Amino acid sequence: MELATRTVRTEDTVGLLKSAMPFQVVSNEMLEAIARAARRVSYKAGEVIYNRGDRADDLFVVVRGRVEHVLGPGAGATNLLRILGPGEVFGWAALLKSQPYRLAKSTAVEDTECLAINGDALLRILESDPETGDVVMSRFATMITRDFTVPEWVAQLRPVGRRAAPQQLTGLALTMFRLAQWLRSPRPYLMVIGFSLVLGFWYLAVEVWKLPRFEQMPGLTAVVKEWLSPDPAYGLSIYTPEYYQHIWVSCRRVGIAFFLATALGVPLGLFLGWSPKFKEYVFPVFEMLRPIPILAWVPLAILMFKGLETPVIFLTFLASFYATALNTMLGVQSIDESYFRAAYCLGASRWQTFRHIIIPGALPFIFTGLQISVGVAWFSLVAAEMVSGQFGLGYVINNSYTTVRYPTIIIGMVTLGAVGYITSALVRIVGDHLMQWRVRELALGGQS
Amino acid sequence: MDVATIKKTLFSRTVGRGIVSIAVFVLLWEVGSRWKQWFGFELPWIGAVPAPSSVIEVWLGLLYDLGYWLSWYKSTLRVFAGFIAAMIVGIPFGLMMAISRTAYGVLFPPFEVLRPIPPLAWVPASIIFWPTQEMSIAFVTFLGAFYTIVINVLGGAKSIDVRYFQAARSMGATRWNVFRRIILPGTLPSIVVGAAVGMGITWEVVVAAEMISGGGGAIQASGAGGGLGFFIWNSYVGGSYEQIVVGMISIGIAGYISSGIVRKLGELSTPWLRVR
Repeated sequence: MELATRTVRTEDTVGLLKSAMPFQVVSNEMLEAIARAARRVSYKAGEVIYNRGDRADDLFVVVRGRVEHVLGPGAGATNLLRILGPGEVFGWAALLKSQPYRLAKSTAVEDTECLAINGDALLRILESDPETGDVVMSRFATMITRDFTVPEWVAQLRPVGRRAAPQQLTGLALTMFRLAQWLRSPRPYLMVIGFSLVLGFWYLAVEVWKLPRFEQMPGLTAVVKEWLSPDPAYGLSIYTPEYYQHIWVSCRRVGIAFFLATALGVPLGLFLGWSPKFKEYVFPVFEMLRPIPILAWVPLAILMFKGLETPVIFLTFLASFYATALNTMLGVQSIDESYFRAAYCLGASRWQTFRHIIIPGALPFIFTGLQISVGVAWFSLVAAEMVSGQFGLGYVINNSYTTVRYPTIIIGMVTLGAVGYITSALVRIVGDHLMQWRVRELALGGQS
Repeated sequence: MDVATIKKTLFSRTVGRGIVSIAVFVLLWEVGSRWKQWFGFELPWIGAVPAPSSVIEVWLGLLYDLGYWLSWYKSTLRVFAGFIAAMIVGIPFGLMMAISRTAYGVLFPPFEVLRPIPPLAWVPASIIFWPTQEMSIAFVTFLGAFYTIVINVLGGAKSIDVRYFQAARSMGATRWNVFRRIILPGTLPSIVVGAAVGMGITWEVVVAAEMISGGGGAIQASGAGGGLGFFIWNSYVGGSYEQIVVGMISIGIAGYISSGIVRKLGELSTPWLRVR
């Protein structure tokens, strides 16, 4: 018999559901949840499953046998009579919010077994997963409207719980979606190739081929082993408290210096950009001092500031200060002249112009400056710590070199890179957050 | 420029104010440094700095010192060695990433991971790696300029208006034509900016590398020929504080001049930018 071949394994509810039309896209976990909510019901030949106007509670999936499904003439459907076999679904009204009553009469043609799934329970399960659930819901809606060719007033009904805008994903779902998109693009695989090229070359050159200049370098496995060892041979790994102490000391120095540089550099830059007279008096000195590399200040800083901590902070500060002040000044100068004219025409005071035009106008440049400033701060911090200092990542690197603990040099470098990257990412995030208007503007303009 | 414009610029208010500003700065410095000598107690910070008058005195003496000029020569040599290497490697590297999506996908992530490591953190590793001191310092200066140049090449290529590509392709340009006529001139201004910034960083790095490696006692004790960074460090160790300031100002001048040269060369290579 033709129908017999379509009979699905009755003992396997999940498998049965999987063969039914709208459930094909559903994940396995969700199918299991649906299967738990389903119950089996048997009907004798000729037994009425439901009548028109009955309360609509359940959605049915035919397991075995055949069902005659007759829509009432008032429904205006083109296909009023349908015979449903195993794996087919009926009883959609259980999912329609504004139609809690049956539109059709369904009768078992022969001895029939069905899977009855409570409509409310099914909706709850589908809603628990915004991604696949939404897909299933929209399939339901399509099937109701298209496959059953029911009249327009049914088509306009929305299944219960189907959210108004399925495009608005939740934060997690959006992240997962982007992750999926990213995994589908070639980028992650190229990235893996890139990293394996670099790391592979390092490993092979140092530890396998022992190339002439490389043999002295710490190898990849040596560094990783040392880094992750609870009992490091050279005294520094993720298990030793000193490691975090060095990180903390460096971060604190950069933090203080960056804060001071921002607190002094931004106002100075704003005034330099604001008042040409002020600039003419102050900028020459600024420009005279700026070409002197920060590191050339090291001995002088040690002489000027007693102690070990202040010279290092001063050097770090100096680097960030130049970057911040200069970028802020450029930011003010980049503001469109017509804004000022408009403001003055409208009777703005000098202070109002400063507050409402100069500060927001310079903000993008200020944040660019701050990002550069964080980078430069780390740069000079390392140098300062290498020359003078007792703690910090720069000190770790230099000290490891002088005491011939080569793997620790690499640990220090990598940690430094990671910490430096995190700090500039933080500055970027804060900047983007404060300048959402600009991001939006760029998005609308299409090009930066 | 004719005499009248030179005269006009020289006697303009801006220049006048600049002179006033620098004069006031030097005067304050002089007073601050000599405060102890004149008033008996030392001012906080500035008191430890040698006075400008004594700095100039020492400097005039150094002008006849071969070691001082040798330091200039050494540092300049290292800077340009690293800088030119960074240009030679960095520009094709950046262009390759700009042209090919695959190259970008493979090369950019490792590049981006290595970039936040300050060049100076490489100093010990590069001393272990390279056979000579010279090469390790040049390598570190190379790194300093390399990242900036590559990032600027990439940024420049990205900022090229996509319509140029569309126009070129619709007129049947080959890949080479697109590269030669659009990408190269389009990125050139960014390359120039990157080179100028990179030159500044190179001087920073060379000073530090000289201080760290030389400070470790690897170069001859006299300090002659150790480069300006080592000149400063040597002066500090030797207690001649005026020389520190001389070294600082010398490096400032050297850095200023080399950035100026790079900018001038850049202007010459991008003549279309001068047309306003």
